[in-house]
Amino acid sequence: MSSETKASPSFSVANPPLSSSMTRYRVMVEKELLELVRSFKLLWVPLVFILLGIMQPVSTYYMPVILEHAGSLPDGTVIDIPLPQAAEVLAQTLQQFGTLGILVLVLVCMGSVSGERNSGAASLILVKPVSPLSYVGSKWTAMLMLAWGSLAAGYLASWYYTGLLIGAVPLSKVIGSLLIYGLWLTFVVSITILFSSLLRSPAAAAFSTLVGSVVLSLLAGLFPKALGWNPGALSGFASQAVVSEISDSGKFGLAILVVFIGMASAVLAAAGALRRSSAVE
Amino acid sequence: MTTLLQVKGLSKSFGAVRAVSNIDFTIREGHCVALLGPNGAGKTTTIRMITGLLKQTSGKMEFQGAAEGVHYRSLIGYLPQSPSFYSWMTGSEYLIYAGQLCGLSAATAKLRAKALLERVGISGAAKRRIGSYSGGMKQRLGLAQALVHQPKLLVMDEPVSALDPLGRKEVLELLRELKQETTVLFSTHVLHDAEVLCDDVIIIRNGQVALQGAIDRIRENHRKPTIELQVEQDEHSQRWMSTFSRRIQSLLNEKDEGALFQDVQLQNGIARFTVSEMDAARRMLIEELAREQVKVSRLEVGHTSLEDLFMKVVTG
Ligand SMILES: Nc1ncnc2c1ncn2[C@@H]1O[C@H](COP(=O)(O)OP(=O)(O)OP(=O)(O)O)[C@@H](O)[C@H]1O
Ligand SMILES: [Mg+2]
Repeated sequence: MSSETKASPSFSVANPPLSSSMTRYRVMVEKELLELVRSFKLLWVPLVFILLGIMQPVSTYYMPVILEHAGSLPDGTVIDIPLPQAAEVLAQTLQQFGTLGILVLVLVCMGSVSGERNSGAASLILVKPVSPLSYVGSKWTAMLMLAWGSLAAGYLASWYYTGLLIGAVPLSKVIGSLLIYGLWLTFVVSITILFSSLLRSPAAAAFSTLVGSVVLSLLAGLFPKALGWNPGALSGFASQAVVSEISDSGKFGLAILVVFIGMASAVLAAAGALRRSSAVE
Repeated sequence: MTTLLQVKGLSKSFGAVRAVSNIDFTIREGHCVALLGPNGAGKTTTIRMITGLLKQTSGKMEFQGAAEGVHYRSLIGYLPQSPSFYSWMTGSEYLIYAGQLCGLSAATAKLRAKALLERVGISGAAKRRIGSYSGGMKQRLGLAQALVHQPKLLVMDEPVSALDPLGRKEVLELLRELKQETTVLFSTHVLHDAEVLCDDVIIIRNGQVALQGAIDRIRENHRKPTIELQVEQDEHSQRWMSTFSRRIQSLLNEKDEGALFQDVQLQNGIARFTVSEMDAARRMLIEELAREQVKVSRLEVGHTSLEDLFMKVVTG
């Protein structure tokens, strides 16, 4: 039986002040970004977006040439497809982002929380004086950086090649629609992270998000009057913003508000789910 | 000595399964406490509740020196049963990260990471990806990350179960050093680990405390004299041995507290009697042996060990 009084470490932790939670949050965001670098996601996700962005103007421009060389047409056929408006090409680029781009982003985010929870890595972090909110928040922040960066890279690449091959579009319009489209991606990423915290299976999280976003977009398309304010309408607004003007600014404003409320609730709900049971092993 | 952690009526149910029911214990500052129990006893569940990773169904835990309303997590270091890290990080990066999450500055975290890697014996692999570590190295890294903020209470779930005999010995040695510096709670299903390291044991079984207290006191209180008897292989002696054990066994079933023989176990031809009074039992046994002309090969007097008690508590 040891009876000597043991020197207890001179270390006291009171309620951590706000500045220290901010430091922790920053450290966690840095870790997430480092993970994106090491797993090459910071490389290939932007590359996919850039490729999608370049493909659209290039394929539009060369479509007549491609058809001519396809060889299935009788000799002497004159192919005369009118080149679309430059802005329309950009709108089509956004459609590409809306399918393949969103798919890639969802696949990258789907295991961000559940992966760490399933492996047990999350429980080692969450026993430390770290709040679930900053844990989820750091992942959300890093994923948004990835999403916005990739979107900007891809969209600007598309704008550049459109300018070269088809025609100029004013940069201000491009930026406007980029911001609107970015909000839609933000919403999708937030929902993915929410599902990743609620569901143990990454595939289930991806599936739920993809179905959810398709449903929202369909609803916005089918019932523009009644449901034109839901976040799914934002991709349409982004196209409108680059091609012409946004027609219904009331619904547009409402959609932005809904996105902000939606993403805040998604992050809070994800943190709540973690707080309830931090480690599903 | 002051109480560091007091656990009162702690329970946890998973649906209909009561994994832990109504556990009470206290951990005193500077003590090393073992949570001992067989597989499925509820050790991991208890530890996860203490660390705050799992919410208890009922009961409470009071931690000395924790500020009002703040969870005492910042005062504990935790090593899970099978720790998992970020495999893309290096050992040293992970420790620095863990230190910063515990509120250390980047510079302090770096210093501590280096010192701890040295201490747990993996400084050679500090710059390697954790994905390439062996199980034993991960266990050591896990220990290092639990210590990074100099916790008041070090909580470990089966810290040596996954190690080979050599690694086990080294880690036990390390823990022996650590218990000089901080309060330690660890779970194990091996009595020996508890015996070499701990001041106190809490033996749990089916989610309940079966026995707890200072290990020396338990050993003292539950020490009973025993007689081991072995006879030669001839038919007469063997027959006597089995009839005699059966007779004692039937006496045992009457559950007489004052009985001379308290227990008998027949194993590999060796009978082991636990007795209440050595002299009387020995006399009785020798007289019986002489009368029946049994060829004794060995008769040995001893005491029940802690191991016997443990087996009795967890199986009984
Ligand atoms: N998430 C869970 N859901 C349902 N039952 C659980 C869960 N976790 C633990 N249990 C049950 O609780 C009991 C105690 O489990 P626990 O993991 O605490 O045991 P243990 O003492 O750590 O065992 P071991 O030595 O095998 O690690 C077991 O019967 C187990 O089946
Ligand atoms: Mg266990």
